[in-house]
Parts: sequence; structure tokens; C-alpha cells
Amino acid sequence: MAESRPIGAGMSKEEIFHVLRTLPGYFLTNNERDVSQSDFKCRIMPQTTLKVAPYRDATHYFAFEIGGGACVHVDLIRKQIDPFEKLRLVRKAMPNTLLQVSCRGRNLFGYRPYPDNVLRLTVRLFSKYIDVWRIYDFMNHVPNLRVVCEEVKKAGKILMPCICFSTGTGHTDEFYVAKVGEILRTLGEDIILCIKNHSAVGSPKRISELVRSIRQAFPNLLLSYHGHNTDGNDLARMVAAVQEGVKIVEVSDHGFGAIYSQAPALSLIQNLRDYGHTTPGLQIQPLVDASDMLRRERRLYEIFESPYRGFDPTVKRHKLTGGAASIAFEQAEKLGLLERMHEVFADLIQVNREMGNIWSVTPGSQILWTTAVNNVLHGRYEKPSDDLKRLLLGRYGPFPFYEPQDWIYQKVLEHNRKDGKKWFEILNEEAGLQKLNDENLDEKREQLKQELKRSVNDEELCLFLQFPRDSVEYFRFEERFGKAWMLPPEIWFKRGGFADGTRITFSDYGGKTHHIDVISTRRSGEDVHTSLLVDYRFQTYANKVSSRETGGRVN
Amino acid sequence: MFKKLLVANRGEIAIRIMRSAQELGIKTVAIFEETDKTALHIMRADEAICIGSGPRKDYLNIDRIIQAARATGAEAIHPGYGFLAENPNFSKECTTAGLTFIGPPSQVILDMGSKVIARDIMRRAGIPVIAGTRILPPGEEGEHEAVEFAKECDFPIMIKAVAGGGGRGIRTAYGMTELIRGIKTARSEAQMAFGNDDVYLEQGLVRPRHVEVQVLADEHGNVIHLGTRNCSIQRRHQKMIEIAPAFLPAPLLDAICDTAVRAARASNYVNAGTVEFLLDQDDRFYFLEVNTRLQVEHTVTEMITGVDIVREQIRIAAGEHISFRQDEISFRGTSIELRITAEDPKGNFTPSPGVIQIYQTPGGHGTRLDGAVYQGYEIPRYYDSMLVKLTVYGFTWREAVDRLRRSLDGFVIAGVKTTIPYYKQIVQDPDFIEQRFDTSFIETHQHLLDYLEDVPEVEKLASLVAEINAYGYNPYAEA
Repeated sequence: MAESRPIGAGMSKEEIFHVLRTLPGYFLTNNERDVSQSDFKCRIMPQTTLKVAPYRDATHYFAFEIGGGACVHVDLIRKQIDPFEKLRLVRKAMPNTLLQVSCRGRNLFGYRPYPDNVLRLTVRLFSKYIDVWRIYDFMNHVPNLRVVCEEVKKAGKILMPCICFSTGTGHTDEFYVAKVGEILRTLGEDIILCIKNHSAVGSPKRISELVRSIRQAFPNLLLSYHGHNTDGNDLARMVAAVQEGVKIVEVSDHGFGAIYSQAPALSLIQNLRDYGHTTPGLQIQPLVDASDMLRRERRLYEIFESPYRGFDPTVKRHKLTGGAASIAFEQAEKLGLLERMHEVFADLIQVNREMGNIWSVTPGSQILWTTAVNNVLHGRYEKPSDDLKRLLLGRYGPFPFYEPQDWIYQKVLEHNRKDGKKWFEILNEEAGLQKLNDENLDEKREQLKQELKRSVNDEELCLFLQFPRDSVEYFRFEERFGKAWMLPPEIWFKRGGFADGTRITFSDYGGKTHHIDVISTRRSGEDVHTSLLVDYRFQTYANKVSSRETGGRVN
Repeated sequence: MFKKLLVANRGEIAIRIMRSAQELGIKTVAIFEETDKTALHIMRADEAICIGSGPRKDYLNIDRIIQAARATGAEAIHPGYGFLAENPNFSKECTTAGLTFIGPPSQVILDMGSKVIARDIMRRAGIPVIAGTRILPPGEEGEHEAVEFAKECDFPIMIKAVAGGGGRGIRTAYGMTELIRGIKTARSEAQMAFGNDDVYLEQGLVRPRHVEVQVLADEHGNVIHLGTRNCSIQRRHQKMIEIAPAFLPAPLLDAICDTAVRAARASNYVNAGTVEFLLDQDDRFYFLEVNTRLQVEHTVTEMITGVDIVREQIRIAAGEHISFRQDEISFRGTSIELRITAEDPKGNFTPSPGVIQIYQTPGGHGTRLDGAVYQGYEIPRYYDSMLVKLTVYGFTWREAVDRLRRSLDGFVIAGVKTTIPYYKQIVQDPDFIEQRFDTSFIETHQHLLDYLEDVPEVEKLASLVAEINAYGYNPYAEA
């Protein structure tokens, strides 16, 4: 008989905390969101998630992270799915498991800070589906977490603020313990504190020391650990963390997790069993079944996996976060920099140091990486990005350990400055966090209504506030093509056209099966006529496609 | 009987006329403008001839059409509706050229085309007409006459272009200022639309019903009627839904049909025509106008009588007697006709040109389609936006409404917006189902426009699959 589920959806926050505090052992959170983001460019499609959902739901995870990070944006622009609808589908398919989201503090699921009322609306709406909010600020500037966390607590959801972890100058136990203290004072004690090791840095010993220090200072504090396996060593770090009392660790399915995301759940379970640590209620068979299924699905996403494979122990020096490390080589290749990657990484290490040894995680990781690439291409700090200027102006928060040198301020802040102001004048007059005025939500709703020529619901408004252009494009796509998530991934990502006789089968909301049979394709110049049997009704569709648009691909 | 007939029209009506002609063993000739060369009526004809570069002007060019008839050896010309159908010169020029015009004589078209002359003829024949003025003189004199008329009768007052038709050139005034301003606007619109700025006034009726009677008259003095139609559901005086019969109580029905026959006789009518009446709230009826052509909605009459009106038109034009006596005509069941157009109802019924990517139609018992389009057809922006006329028959009103709903559900049209989703709302509206409608129905049921576009999810996804196939990759998944 299956062991009962100690933690599940429908339990109150207090009940869940009570179980975490009293039940011996550790819990696992399956982080498909990060696996998708770090190893598959966020492209794991809902059909795959839904297919494996019953097995994951039966595994009795602590939580399943399915939203947030870069995935909200990619849902809209590359997967053409409403992020809210995805959550509704997953909620229905995994009714017993807590759903978790990763949130970038004031930057929510984007790259820039949003006004308070946008933060509050977003948290309120996502909280209809999300049980656990894992929230971080890439500068570890706790005030940046305040508004979002307040709203999570108001919604009665589990608050999991993070300390972003790194190594090197300034990254001492004292610093992190003080930071945890600040979080507890600011956000209250009914939280789970997450150690976010996004760059897969630090040895198991270093993680042990950190956890031990935090637990000595705050013995009643519940801890979770979020790491990446970029260097191939996260299993050992997780073992160390659990041995020191971390209660929740984040893992992948062994059939799916690759290099840059989380280490596999089953491997961790097997390791920790020998040390006498167990996972209460966790079911092994569905965990294995899920991976068996995912192994087959994985082939569909092969084109999104990095062609540059293998663990990267040098991450200890360049510190790129999992998702950024996975695409670094590909981005460099596109820029013609592959042969000079050693220069880019050398510069990145230097930039990290020069930028105060901050945490290389979104949006910081993008700022640091872009700076290093620009330095190699155009000369050191000769072409600074606007985001780098914002970083130096303290728009994201103060540098926690030390500030960049004056010559960098001068190069960056005086670049393209038309008023001739000197860097120190600019700092004096413009630096610091800026209070963003609230958006006029009624005005924005009206604007979106005008764009779409129909009424607009709160969820649509919420997406529009965060991604104005991309959300409108998505809404128009959905109006025209419907619910693309229904299509199997092999159809969504199909390259080279469909052979005559191809049958596409899928189910709709009501569970009804539909068939689309490809009868023929006729090309005449730029005109392509595709004849299909759509649920056994013959239809021909006409498209105009120039050879430029096909990118030279032919059917 | 004629051996060859030229159809001086396009679209569904051209095809509908060709069907009857072909059944009579008559060869058909289609005409077309260069801008209309992919139209379906060309494919349905036995032969076709281009009459000019278009758009629109050549379908209105009498000389070119007569030349086309001569060049193809056609002996008769059917004008259909619209274009030159009610142009007395066309009828006259056809006769002069030795061609048979399938419609009433030129003088009848001329008389009935002037609403003021038509009203005079009817008044003399003892047919009730709504109180009205003569043609208003220009300038202040006309305005003075209008004011005097307004003092004699209550508002609303209709301002009508003498040469108007098809719902154009009509304005309603609810007060004196609106009346004076409306006369000026109506004159200017009438000048633009008909080349004649003459207007007159009529007493407006409150929420009237629009009832019309189909008549047939031959040159041997036989005149019969084919019953009534209710055309009350209109948008801006343009008919949208037509019903046969008009469901009038027996004494009123007899009176109105007899009056229509008398009106045809009074105007020396020959061929098929329609006498239109307005019914007030007390079931009093008044002559409105005579349409000297085949009506769009003639199909509903055909469904309940079994008479092929176009066949009768051709036979009458060939000098034959009407095929039936009045007592041989019986009326059975109910028929409803909708004009399905490529228009966006939510966008104030603006035309929605484009390529018809999918065109699937309903069928089955009691469903008749008179269409003009096909899958892959690009709707030209120069002509009217009619795609297909849907006419249904039911033994009872309720059966007809149910069949109408089922038939609308059977359409799958993609690529252009159509009025189908709006009609689907109408046929489910309780007032429509209970036959509670008059000419204000569309205006008072604005909420029916608040519908969701009803494209099945699988159809949308199929169009996406086609796009992925055409590009060779998914342009919405890959940059």
C-alpha cells in the first residue's frame, strides 16, 4: 500500500510548516521550470508536462516548480500559451501537489523593475494557482523583496525568499547570516529560507559550513536548497546540505535533467539513503515511470539542448548561472566569438571582480555576460549597455561588498552623455533606487481593449503590464490559431514540413480526440496550398511564403 | 422559346438565373469585368464574355452589354437585381436592339421608379397610400411645404429620394429641425447615388411591419400573386432576413394580396414584380412601392409555392402565358432566407474582403443555397459582399427556425469574417423565435452583436499546421 502523502495541495500553510518542522527526513521539489529553462531554452511544452503529470503527482514531491523565471515570457513569445492557462492545466493534472514559482523580486518574471501596483496585481493573480513563491533579488537587496513578499503573505501562500549564494571576496558566512537576519526582520519568521546556488559554485564543504552557520544563528528556520549541476557536483552539495539540516532540495527527473539544471532526484535519494536520510512519503515507482516517459519525450526537444555538452567545472571562476552557461557557447558562436571564448570567459571573470563580485543571476548574469562580450568585441567598457549604466547607478540596489573603480564609472556613465556631465556629478544627481509611479491600471486596460477590440480580463491586463508588445502579439495569435498547447510538441517544433499522409492526433479541453491528416502540399512560387482532412473534412489552406521566410528550408 | 440568354449580372443571382434557363434548355452567356474574372457565375455559364476592365462601371454600361449579347447571339437579357435591373433605359435599349428584356416594359419601370408617380397611380386605383407630399420644390419653397406637411401630421416623417431604392435615400425626421436638415442631406445623397436630387415626404409609421406580395403578370392580361413575404428585419432599411408567408390573419391576407394584384394591373405590369406595403400597429396597410425586378428574397416564395419564378419570368418574356391560375397556387409551410455576406458585424458590418480558405456548406432536407463563392476564391473588394443566400423550409415556423439554426451551424467558412455568427445569435433570440419582430428589431436587439467568434478550435489549429507546413518550420516557435 502506498505511503500517505505528508504534504499536499489543500493543506494550510500552518499544517505544511508543522509537517516540515516535525517530520524527520527531507523533501524534494521537482523543478521542471528550471530544467526547461537551463537545459531546453524554456521550450518544454505543456503537452509533455501534462503527459507525465499523473506520475509526478503520485510521487509525493513537496512541490512542483512550473512557473516563473524566464518561462512566463517564453510561454508568450515562443510557446504561444497563456502562462495562466498553463497553470490551470497543470493544477488540474496535478491536483495533489503544491505548485511553485520562481520570482525575480521587483523584476517579477522580467528584466526591469515594475511599479508596486503591478507587483501586487501579479502576485494576487498568480496566487490563484501558486502555493509556493520562491523569490530572490539578484543584488540580495532585501527591500527589493518587500512588496512581492507582502502580497504573497496576504494571499496566504508559502513564502520562500532566497539568499543568492556565490563565492569569493565578501561571500562569508557572516555576510549571509546577516542577510538572513535582515530577511527575517523584514519579512517575518513564517518563511522557508532558500539558499539559491544558481551558479553551481562552492564545494560540498562550503555548503555544509554555510548551512551550519545559518542554522546555528536561526535554529528554527526552515531551509531549502536550490542548486544547479553545471559542474557535475550538485549531488554532493545537496547531500551536504541535507546532512546539515536543509529540509527541501530541488531536483530533476533523471530522464530529463541534463547538465545545467538540477541533479536527478533518484541519485540523491540513493546517496542519502546510505547516510540514513529518507524522503517521507515519496514514491519511487512513479518517479521512475515519469523518467521512462520523459526519456522518450526528450528526443522532441533535442534541437533546444546545447550542442556544447559536458560538465563545466570552470563555472567556479566565471560563475554563469545554469541557464546562461548553457547558451553561452551558442551565443558566442552566433557572434563569431567561438574561437575567442577563452577571452570572453577571462573578461567575464574580470568583470565579475570589477562589478563588486555580485551574484551572476538574472538580470545580473545578462548584464555581466553582455559586458564581457562587448569588452572583447569593442574594447573594455567602450560600449556599455543601458542595463550596465543602471547597475552602476544603483537602480537595482547598492553594491554589497565594494564598488567598481572610478575609471569604470567614468567610462560607463559618461558614454554617449550629451550634457557633458562628469561621472561623479551623474552619481551625485541620479544614483540610487528609484520609486516607480504606479501604473494607471484603468488606462492600461482601456489601451489593451483598444488594441484587441474586445473586453479584457485581469489576467490579460497583468500580462500586458509586464510584456506590453509580446502579450498583444500572443493574444492575437490565440485569437487566430487557438490553443496551440493542444498540439503535440513534435508538431509544434516540426521542421521541413509534413509528408503527405502524416496524421496529427490530439485531444481538446473536453477530452475529444481530433485528427488532422495531411493530404498534400502544392507550391507555386510564393503560394503554398496545404490540403488537410480536419476531423475528416477536406480543407485547403493558402499561405504566401517567400524563400527568405523559409530561410532556405524546403519541404 | 429563346435559344440563348445573356445574364446581365454577376454573383449568386446570375447563377440562379442560369439554372432556370438551363432547365429550359436555353444556353447561357455570362458577362464579366476584368476585375471579376474569377467569379463563379462565369464558370457556371455555357459561355462568357468580358465587357471591360471594370470595376462596376462595365456592369452598368448598357452599350457594352447589348454588344455582348449581339456578339454571342443571345436573344434575351435577364438583368437580375441591382446594376441595370430597374433602369428603364436598359429595357428600352434592349427592345430597340431587338433583344428581349426579361422584366417589365420600360414605361412601367419608369413609372414605378418614381415613387411619386407610383403613389399617384396607386391613389387613382383606390389603393391606400401613406399621406405624403408631391416632389418638394427646391430651396425655401420646398422647406416651407415640408413645414406645412409636418404641421398636418405627426412626426416621424420619412424623407425619401424619388429615385431611391434598396433602402438608400431614406431618412427619418423626429422634429422640425431634423426635418429641414434631413431634406438637405437627403437631396445631396440622392444626387450622389441616383443623379437626381428630388425628394418627397411621407408620414412615418411607428414600428411598422414590412410586408410584400410577389406578383406575376403576363402580356395576355393574367395577373396572379404568389403570396406574402415579411421583410421587417432590416438594418438601415436594408433587408437582412425575409420570411414567407407574412403570417397575416385571413381577411387581411386576402385584402393585401388582392390589392397587390390591383396595383400590378393599375401599373400595366408584365413579368415578375413585388408590391411592397407597410402595416401599422392596427393592421392597416399602405402601398410603399413596386420593385420591378426579381427580388433577392424570391427564394422564400419559391419554397412555399413550388413555383420557379425565374422560369416563369423567362416564359412570360417569351410571350407565353403564366403556367398557373391563381387557384392552382397553394401555400404550404414556412420559409426563411438569410443573406450571408463577407462583412464584420462587430465592425459596423464593414466588408471583409480576402481569400476564402475554407468553404463548407450545410445540406439536407429543407436547406437551399444560392451561392456565388468557392474555396480559394478571393472576394473582390469592388462588388457587394454577398457570399451565399441560405433559404430554409419548414412545415411550421418552429421547424423552419430549427432548420435555420442547424443550417447555420453547418457552415464552415474561414479566411473572411461573415455575418453567420450574428445570424446564429438572431435565430436563438426569444423574440425572433416567438415572431416578435418589426422593422426596429435590429436596432432594439443590439446585444445580439455581443457574440464570440465561433471558429472551432480544431479549425484554428489546422490553419496553424498549414502554416508550419508552408514555412517548413514554426514561425511562432522559432525566431
